[in-house]
Amino acid sequence: MDFTFSEDQLLFQESVRDFLVNEVTPERIRASWLTDSGREDALWNQLAELGLTGMTVSEANGGLGMTVLDFVLLAQECGYVGLPEPLVHTVMVAVPLLNDLGGELAEQWLPKVASGEAKVVVGLEQNLLVEDAHVADLLLMQQGGTLYAATPDQFSLCYSESVDPSRKLFTVELLDSAAPVASGEQAATLIARTLNRGALGCAAQVLGLAQRMIDLSVHYTGERQQFGKPIGSFQAVKHHMANVAVRLEYAKAPTHRAAYAVATGQGVAAHAVSHAKLVACEAANLAAKNSVQVHGAMGYTWEVDLHIFMKKAWALANTWGDAGFHKTRIGERVFATDAVLGAGATFV
Amino acid sequence: MKLSFSAEDEQFRQEIANWLQVNLTGEFEKLRFRGGPGDEHTFPEQRKVWEQKLAEGGWTCVGWSKEYGGRGCSIEQQVIFFEEYARAGAPGRVGHIGEGLAGPTLIAFGTDEQKKKYLPGIVAGTELWCQGYSEPSAGSDLANVKTKARFDEAQNKWIINGQKVWTSLAHESNYCFVIARTDLDSVAHKGLGFFLIKMDQPGVEVRPIEQITGTSEFNEVFFDEAQCDADDIVGAPGEGWKVAMGLLGFERGVSTLGQQMQFQNELDEVIRVAKNNGAAKDPAIRQRLARAHSELKIMRYNSMRILSGQSGSDGGLQKEALIYKLFWSTWHRSLGELAMDVLGPECEILEDAPYSLSRLQSMYLFVRADTIYGGTNQIQRNIIAERGLGMPKEPKGVAK
Repeated sequence: MDFTFSEDQLLFQESVRDFLVNEVTPERIRASWLTDSGREDALWNQLAELGLTGMTVSEANGGLGMTVLDFVLLAQECGYVGLPEPLVHTVMVAVPLLNDLGGELAEQWLPKVASGEAKVVVGLEQNLLVEDAHVADLLLMQQGGTLYAATPDQFSLCYSESVDPSRKLFTVELLDSAAPVASGEQAATLIARTLNRGALGCAAQVLGLAQRMIDLSVHYTGERQQFGKPIGSFQAVKHHMANVAVRLEYAKAPTHRAAYAVATGQGVAAHAVSHAKLVACEAANLAAKNSVQVHGAMGYTWEVDLHIFMKKAWALANTWGDAGFHKTRIGERVFATDAVLGAGATFV
Repeated sequence: MKLSFSAEDEQFRQEIANWLQVNLTGEFEKLRFRGGPGDEHTFPEQRKVWEQKLAEGGWTCVGWSKEYGGRGCSIEQQVIFFEEYARAGAPGRVGHIGEGLAGPTLIAFGTDEQKKKYLPGIVAGTELWCQGYSEPSAGSDLANVKTKARFDEAQNKWIINGQKVWTSLAHESNYCFVIARTDLDSVAHKGLGFFLIKMDQPGVEVRPIEQITGTSEFNEVFFDEAQCDADDIVGAPGEGWKVAMGLLGFERGVSTLGQQMQFQNELDEVIRVAKNNGAAKDPAIRQRLARAHSELKIMRYNSMRILSGQSGSDGGLQKEALIYKLFWSTWHRSLGELAMDVLGPECEILEDAPYSLSRLQSMYLFVRADTIYGGTNQIQRNIIAERGLGMPKEPKGVAK
């Protein structure tokens, strides 16, 4: 048993974090809100040059041949900066689905994803709308029990505005020319696995978002003075942040455990993912609530950066399965008549 | 990362499971699922014998190195040991303070002589320990210790005077580790010493404190010219705080594994009752049970994450460990409340008169202590915010 990440994994996290913190500043995010697409090709190309878009693409197809377990710490960093680009979606959702589908479709698109030339986006019925469909060169779309592949000439889009101005959401209508790529049992399995990876991606990102909100709040309450002292010295203020720190720290292990289960195909992946998504989103929601509170009236302004991260956390909490969906999955397991829960079931 | 046990580890699981199946029988049968937190007052004599039975099988101090009489188990094997111990319903360990706290502290900070003198009794399950930290005026402000230690040159002994309080199992213990002021002019955490004191001597008096459970597992301990040998001080005079804090690190290390399996047994019991009496069909109760399950899993994962991060496994306190006390105590308190809600109206009716609580009722009351002892939740939040997050310290008053 080993519940730690390797030195290489941690070093990769550090270097990606440095890159993202320098490049994806709150100012840049605010600027992207004013553009039509909200996405920047220049930034995407940089991510591709770092090998990030191809992390889960096999080496034969021009990628790094890694797993979602290698990426989970990086997904946290994407969350930390509130990255608008669909990197987590690409690495954790779209590429593994293409890998699973295999064949010509995979061979055609995976090298382009790795090089940054193309973006592939997945739409499941579990989600109300499809993220980033406007920049998709290939859309993999669930309709009932069938998965379709469609290029931009094979679908039409209707835009919906998100509470998080960085998220671009669309209703997708597939045209008749869209090609079915999986159906029946195969599609059901693929859809279930995709949903788990999407939820895992959310969990990892909101961990980063929660950390960012804590950092902003600790900084602000250390500077802001009232009654002749920094407000962060008051217990009534610091206990708010301590409560968040506990929730956040304790959401990490379940998230990493879920990433391991997904990456290794352990049978408990669905349950582990639901656990991770629930507790990570709870941590992030508490971070949002308490961070606004300790920022005082400033936290309610558009000017202070806090809401950039807060809104993304709120949005992610309700996609790839909301709290009710994931609680139900856990409940089904806990209350099953043959439930394996107690001593000896640590990794079962 | 590798989240599974090896074949050798599973073989180890068979070994301990078999041993428990053969030995947790006969006179020990009645100890099953007894003697945990809140239930420590039950069967003390039989549990002392059980402690020695464990020792005969080599199942005490399993995580200590063989050099000190332990079994030298890896972290994985310790995880498995505690899992199987709990699965069998083996009783709460009367020796847990010696094995989990006193021993590791001596191994880390003690002299060779101290190790030779004290460790074998802990391993053999024949010598039990208690912890002398809190005092009437040193609760949350633990460093405000007033118990005094003076060195008597003529007798070549340390002489201890003062009072400790909330001392769990003092009435069953052979030794107490005590923090006391060696420099009488000092304040706060400076000028303290860490002493090893024999309980059976004229200068030590133990008075039980009756708890809201109607039972007594902790005590007041009075030291009136109590003595210990010149070399029964761990570290130098003035280094007591360092040793005392080092010990708290062990409290949040490996010993959490056993505690969590105790929690697992309690949760299993609550779920069993809920399935039996139909409470598990109530959506509100279901949500809370599922949450309790999820959060206990979190504690397990996190302990393993922290422990497997310690390559040397020295039990030292890492930053993540700061948060453990707050999390588990709050979880446990909620479990107590949940247990009563699962029982419904019958939660009020005691098992027997006079004042005999069922296992779950006893737990419900005992968990009220969890969020207080070992640092209240409020103190824990201060520590997390100030040491963990680096938030500014609250200005302190002057101790009188």
